[in-house]
Amino acid sequence: MAPYDNESDSNGRGRDLLVAGIVLVMALSTSFLAEPRQQRISAALQVSVLRPFIATQERLEQSRIGAAEADSLMALVDSLSSRLSTQSALRDENRNLRALLQIAERAGPEYLPATLLRPGTPGSESMFLVDRGARDGLVEGSPVVSAHGLVGVVREVRERNSVGIDWSHPEFRASAMLADGLVYGLVENRRGAFREEDRLLLNGIPFNEPVAPASLVVTSGLGGIYPRGIPIGRLDALADQEGTWRKSFWLVPMVHPGAATHVLVLRGGGAGDVTEVWIADSPSGDSIATEGDGR
Amino acid sequence: MSSIGRPRAWVLALLLFTLHFLLHIGFSFGRGAPDLLTLALLLLAREISIGRAGLTGFVFGLCEDALSVLAFGANSIAMTLIGIAGAATRDLFVGDSRAFLISYVFIGKLTRDLIHWIAVGEGLRQPFVEQVVIEGGIAALYLAVIGVVVAEVWGVGRDLA
Repeated sequence: MAPYDNESDSNGRGRDLLVAGIVLVMALSTSFLAEPRQQRISAALQVSVLRPFIATQERLEQSRIGAAEADSLMALVDSLSSRLSTQSALRDENRNLRALLQIAERAGPEYLPATLLRPGTPGSESMFLVDRGARDGLVEGSPVVSAHGLVGVVREVRERNSVGIDWSHPEFRASAMLADGLVYGLVENRRGAFREEDRLLLNGIPFNEPVAPASLVVTSGLGGIYPRGIPIGRLDALADQEGTWRKSFWLVPMVHPGAATHVLVLRGGGAGDVTEVWIADSPSGDSIATEGDGR
Repeated sequence: MSSIGRPRAWVLALLLFTLHFLLHIGFSFGRGAPDLLTLALLLLAREISIGRAGLTGFVFGLCEDALSVLAFGANSIAMTLIGIAGAATRDLFVGDSRAFLISYVFIGKLTRDLIHWIAVGEGLRQPFVEQVVIEGGIAALYLAVIGVVVAEVWGVGRDLA
């Protein structure tokens, strides 16, 4: 126990008790102070001794409100992003449909509007379901096109729907030519290390035939499957050459199969020339855009 | 409860004072935070004179009353009396054991709540059993435990069995 030091004597003790008594009286009297005076004392303590603690509470409260507002704003941003992304998809779809409508008007009634569905199951890559079938006039080998060019071909026709393959299917082949009709070849699929690497190859071009870079490649109409003039892609880089008699080029496809949803399907055979359908606005064909353009 | 020396007692009281208002006002913990102000006064009262203990209690009580709108003065009275009584216990109890520390803090806190309950007046206080016996008892027990922890950390009664 600590000693009292100087307060241990009786005088000191008496003074101490006197101080205690005075303080006790003061304490008791605080309850009976007039309310304005109590408020002044409270205010003085709040802006002095208690100020740091009150300020801490205010800062914490502001932080809490800030966090709540941040959550609210984040939810708002998420909602807007979701809405914008939906609108973006709708805008794309609208643009595709408008383009398809123009093509359909030019192509005539033989081209039937249809919707492609992708099963999305293992083994069904490069295949699609068409919501049109034999009762709509579809036959095996009916070309499937979009506003930008060739998507694929119908391989199996049922009463109400059909099954087709797009150009990324290993069995896809199309007789093709440059848009000017001077150079002919065969377009086929080349598998990449993974599906996104699948590419189109224009093969069998005579070695000495001059070809302009980025030339438009369209179906040639040979073979009776695809009518002449459906855009397939544009020449990209030289892929291969054999001796001095043959060369092949990679193509930049006009249509990305995964993005093709609304299409036209040609009823009946693939005879005729539809060149004017796709390049009606540009005789040279230079203005035809691939599907990725304009996005 | 052995002496921790006046300077250290004042430092401890200041720390507990700061922590009390930081927890109660700054962090708004409310009743979840222990009544460290009473603990500070009880521990300090064992080291200083009755007059100073009363004055310290009065100041502590006024600080609490500053945030009490309807019962201004109740805390001042309670803390002043606790300060005086705590200092007076030096003459009555040597208190060199942990059991004394626990009892001292427990009874001190319970008495403080009792005085406050009386001083607050009839219009504002809750039923005696609810406020003093149950809530006060729990709060006193809570503070006694905290008191032991503080004593261990700060070296109060470290030489005790």
